[in-house]
Amino acid sequence: MSFLLDCPNCGSRSVNDYRYGGEVTARPTPADSQETWSAYFYIRKNAAGLQREWWYHKYGCRRWFQADRNTLNNRVSGTFWPGEGPAQTSEGEG
Amino acid sequence: MPERRLPPHPSQIIDRSKPISFEYEGRRITGYEGDTVASALYASGVDIFGRSFKYHRPRGLLCVSGRCPNCMMNVDGTPNVRACACAAADAETVKGQNAWPSVEKDALSVLQRFDRLMPVGFYYKTLVRPKVAWHLAEPVIRRVAGLGTVDPSLVPETEYEHVNAYTDVAVVGGGPAGMSAALAAAEAGARVTLIDEVEDLGGHLRYETLPHTVPNALMRFGERKGGGEDFAALGYQMAKYLAGQVEASGRIRVYSGASAMALYQDNMITVHQGERIIKLRANQVVIATGAQESPPVFPNNDLPGILLSSGALRLVNLYGVSPGNYGVIFTNCDDGLRAAAQLLNAGVHAHMVVDSRMRHTCAFAEDFRERNVTLLQGWKVVKAEGGKKLRSVLLESTREGAQRRVDCDFLCLAPNPEPVTALLSQADAKLTHDEVLGAMVPSQLPDGVYAAGDVTGFQDVEVHLLQGRIAGFRAAAASGASVEDDGLEALSSELALAESVHRGELSSSPFRSTVGDRFGRTKRFVCVCEDVTEKDVRQAIDEGFADVQSLKRYSTVSMGPCQGKMCHKSYTYLISEATGQGLDVVGGTTPRPPFHPTPLGAIAGPGHMPFRMTPMNDAHVRAGGKMAEVGQWKRPHSYGDPIDEIKAVRNGVGIIDVSTLGKLDVVGTDAPALLDRVYTHYFSNLRVGRIRYGVICSDSGIIMDDGTVTRLAEDHYYVTTGTGNIDLVEEWFRWWVVGTEMCAYVANVTPGFGAVNVAGPKARETLQKITDVDLSRDKFRYMGSARGEVAGVPALFLRVGFVGEAGWELHFPAEYGEHVWESIIKAGEEFGIKPFGVEAQRVLRLEKKHLIPGQDTDVMSNPLESDLEWAVKFEKEDFIGREALSQVSERGYRNRMVGFVMENGAVPEDGTPVIEHGWPVGKVTSSRYSPSIGKGFGLAWVPNRLAEEGQLIEIRVPGGVGWARVRHAPVYDPEGVHLRE
Repeated sequence: MSFLLDCPNCGSRSVNDYRYGGEVTARPTPADSQETWSAYFYIRKNAAGLQREWWYHKYGCRRWFQADRNTLNNRVSGTFWPGEGPAQTSEGEG
Repeated sequence: MPERRLPPHPSQIIDRSKPISFEYEGRRITGYEGDTVASALYASGVDIFGRSFKYHRPRGLLCVSGRCPNCMMNVDGTPNVRACACAAADAETVKGQNAWPSVEKDALSVLQRFDRLMPVGFYYKTLVRPKVAWHLAEPVIRRVAGLGTVDPSLVPETEYEHVNAYTDVAVVGGGPAGMSAALAAAEAGARVTLIDEVEDLGGHLRYETLPHTVPNALMRFGERKGGGEDFAALGYQMAKYLAGQVEASGRIRVYSGASAMALYQDNMITVHQGERIIKLRANQVVIATGAQESPPVFPNNDLPGILLSSGALRLVNLYGVSPGNYGVIFTNCDDGLRAAAQLLNAGVHAHMVVDSRMRHTCAFAEDFRERNVTLLQGWKVVKAEGGKKLRSVLLESTREGAQRRVDCDFLCLAPNPEPVTALLSQADAKLTHDEVLGAMVPSQLPDGVYAAGDVTGFQDVEVHLLQGRIAGFRAAAASGASVEDDGLEALSSELALAESVHRGELSSSPFRSTVGDRFGRTKRFVCVCEDVTEKDVRQAIDEGFADVQSLKRYSTVSMGPCQGKMCHKSYTYLISEATGQGLDVVGGTTPRPPFHPTPLGAIAGPGHMPFRMTPMNDAHVRAGGKMAEVGQWKRPHSYGDPIDEIKAVRNGVGIIDVSTLGKLDVVGTDAPALLDRVYTHYFSNLRVGRIRYGVICSDSGIIMDDGTVTRLAEDHYYVTTGTGNIDLVEEWFRWWVVGTEMCAYVANVTPGFGAVNVAGPKARETLQKITDVDLSRDKFRYMGSARGEVAGVPALFLRVGFVGEAGWELHFPAEYGEHVWESIIKAGEEFGIKPFGVEAQRVLRLEKKHLIPGQDTDVMSNPLESDLEWAVKFEKEDFIGREALSQVSERGYRNRMVGFVMENGAVPEDGTPVIEHGWPVGKVTSSRYSPSIGKGFGLAWVPNRLAEEGQLIEIRVPGGVGWARVRHAPVYDPEGVHLRE
């Protein structure tokens, strides 16, 4: 892997500067069912296509941010602080 | 032995005043500085450089550029060194390989008579039944086939290193196009890196002795006032002129003798240069990798004496070595005619030029006639003849089929060169077959990648310079430099004109596969690396492997050391011919990295691992500490006798360096809320100044880390983590803050603080001598903290009890590490203080049944089953792992971590199984001999049914099995009396 990622704080850096944090999931609340929790623990979309995911700038500012990355070709269409990304399209849901 | 040296010429790079020599197969070979091993050997009359992979056929020099597999030799113990790319001055002993007894006389060449037993894909067809056949045959095949052998006893002296570099514009290839691009980009203000395979810049111009005429404006980079005169110079002069400009530019970093191994995403180029790998990140990349010849296919096309024209020109014009005494040049393009003229100019004796094109105007016809050289047009070579060396070639007229046999001792093949598009393919450039240029050329380039020079299929130096200049400017502009648009437009129209003129001049006729089986079993090689013949390829296609991917895998064509450089053109033509598909449709396989074979050592990089040392490291070494690697750190395993150290802690006082603990400062009004969230325990109700043990779980309830948390102020906590877990915990804390409105800040202060743990019945007396902090039993209670000075150094005192004795963890600025350490040792002298190491600490904590995450837990361990229920507070509405742990609670425990004590004298090893009815049902995670009870004991995971107090369990011990009894209480001080003393 050699692609570049734009840390919203530091700018463009090699992917090796970062730690991958997996796809963005929503944590259930204590009121949710056991099924919802189990799905949150173990089930991932594993999208073949666009995916919103977590990255941590381990060898930089040590901040977490999110990226929209196409898992098929590693092209990153955007990086942003959590909650500040564009609305997600349905692409990559498959 | 014949002497093949030619008279000196200024294009040559050998220094005849500096002779060098090396040993080859028991002979002394002499040459000159500047020679390669191959040029020196060839000058001394060596024709056979190696034996082929499968049939052990003699092979001689072919490409003389480090690409083909023919001249791979063993140089000073290193196998598979390309003799034509290895400086002779660096070699001491050179040996042939893959031959017995020698490459000159190889008994195994008899194998080629048994080719019927080894049809294409034979390993899929033969030796299948009985199954044992393959196992019997494999060792034989492995010994007989293949390349050089690695000598395992050879200790590599090479210290490899990896370098990270950045550049605005990277230019791969230092020929005219590459240098032109580099100069233009530098002129525009970009930082430029130019990469070339060989030591001297110039590309093919280095070994060209004919003039090139280009507009003056193109050569006078940087000062383009010069006017419209043409600049005419011999190729090698032009190369030197341009190289001088590159050197003078000051903005161009040159990696010479460096091969660009690969072009990865976002323009990451890996470069192999001698003992280093450079990871070069480029904003923009110009690919000017040139073109290369690959040999046409005809019977015996692999005989020594047959070489590519560019190889012959290198031999002649760089090393002053003649390819032979009586030669034929065979071509299908104007470049071949130029090569012929240059060889003749240099004094090489060739007597015939064969051009497969009919009635083509030859610019050198007069020249050839004057030198008594026969020019045959519309003829082609259909067979080479000879035993170990070329003796003659059979020619055939393409018109009437007439044949003639011509004697010769060398044959130069000058096919229309093929663009070197490997890096472009890796970057996903689209390649299309251009009928006029007769080659697969890049037709669509990805963003940030440009192509210039021979790689575009054009073979005209003026075109190359213009392409380079435009690419250089465009790349510089894209990387942020300012370039005038109108200047670019003018250059572009110049280029369009030059390209169309050049297109009009072009004509080459491809050496399509021709002769078929007319010459019986005489072999026609497509792939010289793997000894794949035309017959093999045709048969594979007949069997249905008619596309590049499956043909490659089935026949192994292109899978040898040259990775298709010599055969790609031939086998794609064969597929095209057999299937009727155009070359565009046939396509090609992507040449995978590395472009040139690269030593694994270089890829692996430096052989050392960096490690961290605590601020007291030198004191440990002086005290005789046996240093061991613990995670990233060096820590004393012991200072000689761990049992002695344990006794000191239990009976007097001991000190251990715990600077390796991870340390986090958590600050903010929401710091209590954050810690309540990430720990299973409460921290919001911890009183200021108090300490509490905590466990961190993942959301699925698995233990990640444990440690102590000290509340320094309402909004300030000091957290310690396990030695190897600090990065993980820091990330974890930050993760649960991000995206929330929480006001909580996390700072990793691990390297800022040194820390020691002073413990034992005499710890209080020891420390009280050098601090004003009141350490008395009533004032400074267990799990309390205080700030104060120790030996004059500000410190945080934490009264914790990992080893089970009254003691203090002192955290202080790291730079005072040795001072604090030595002061405490001095203060403790009268109490017999001993430093103790990791081993003693492991036993001490195990006697207290304190677990170590990662040692005693794994990715299946939750705190409930790990006997840490007391640290899990389900009363909290939510914490990380709560839901998963409630599920565990509901379903009931399956396995539990328990303490055990051996019934006999045995001590199990860490990791050995717990056995029930002969089956492993659990495992021991930590086990030692306990000096306190004089028995083996430890921690183990067992099924819940075996977790009752007093339960007998069976554990594998060295030499058999032993019985142990489950014991829930710590073996030492179960009531914690000593701890609170």
